[in-house]
Amino acid sequence: MTPRSNPLATALTLGLLTAISSTQLLAAEIQPHADAIQVSDPYTREMPPGALATASFMTLSNTSDQNIKLVQADTNAAKSAELHTHTNDNGVMRMRQVSSFDIPAKGQTKLQPGGNHIMLISPNQTIKTGNTVSVTLTFEDGSSKKVTMPVKSVMNMGKNEDHSHHHH
Amino acid sequence: MNISQKAVKIGIVAIGALLLLFFLFQFLTKPTPHSPPPPKGIVSEKPTGGNFTLTSINGQQSLSNFKDKLVLLYFGYTYCPDICPTDLGNLAMAYRGLNDQEKEQVQILFVTVDPERDTVNRMAEYTGYFDADMVGLTGTNAEIATVAKQYGVVYMKANNPLNSHSSAENYTVDHSAFTYIIDATGQLQTQLPHAMPPQQIQNTIQTYLTQDKAS
Repeated sequence: MTPRSNPLATALTLGLLTAISSTQLLAAEIQPHADAIQVSDPYTREMPPGALATASFMTLSNTSDQNIKLVQADTNAAKSAELHTHTNDNGVMRMRQVSSFDIPAKGQTKLQPGGNHIMLISPNQTIKTGNTVSVTLTFEDGSSKKVTMPVKSVMNMGKNEDHSHHHH
Repeated sequence: MNISQKAVKIGIVAIGALLLLFFLFQFLTKPTPHSPPPPKGIVSEKPTGGNFTLTSINGQQSLSNFKDKLVLLYFGYTYCPDICPTDLGNLAMAYRGLNDQEKEQVQILFVTVDPERDTVNRMAEYTGYFDADMVGLTGTNAEIATVAKQYGVVYMKANNPLNSHSSAENYTVDHSAFTYIIDATGQLQTQLPHAMPPQQIQNTIQTYLTQDKAS
């Protein structure tokens, strides 16, 4: 670049370089996704007798300024854990596996009955009230977070909701 | 730095404005369709309901056996991982919130949409878990299909390549998740949506019980 070059071009080039380097700087400073996600009210549902699967529910809060994707769940409690969602098609509930859950920047994603959930398939242990279940959540950047949660019965959930204002 | 940020900002605003203009133009020039086509009715508009006979662990059971009771009828299956436990749990909670006299006048029936796997024993074990005096009913594929049609219930084995755990024995079933309320004369009165909270179900039950008394 000659000193005689167009001042506007120089400004733009410099600006672009600054923008790129500051983005790289920011990227280096960004915390792992797992650290930006706060998990509240996690629980796994007690299985009725003979059931093949159950589900884990929780609220995921994203404290960062960027969207974060939950891409995987793993547990020792079951043969496999999958991310699932439900769609309500004129009253017909269709459950489908999905590849990720989006947790919007500064936002929340709720995993709850009838919607997004982590499905635990073929549990290795009896999943009963009083037990705890651990699930490791892995995010798009590869960082992960282990969540240990109580098992709750469907019949007690309504009661627990009444106390949802309690802080955990 | 400041100049470049300003330039970038101006650029973004300019692009935004152009996009807005573009969409506005599209919107204004394109005639809006009169009305969207009605959604494809996969749930029959007005289910007729009516009597049926299926099999429980105690043998044949007909809806008419529960005459003089308010019946809450739900269709699902015992391997159901989320939807059925949610709704049956809520129904059970609502039932358990009733007083003894009210309980006498209410019966919850659970009809399987997966008769191939749901034997009478499985149905009994499963309904027993909810501790709400529920009766589990199964039958042949044809019997279940007939009852489902009467109540406008849609069900089908899920067909999804992403459902990696689905196999010949291990599959999920998509199904309607309404609770049908049938009055003491056997008439289908209304259907409750999926995931109605227990307290609302209880209020609905009590409203129908009062109406039955008044009539």
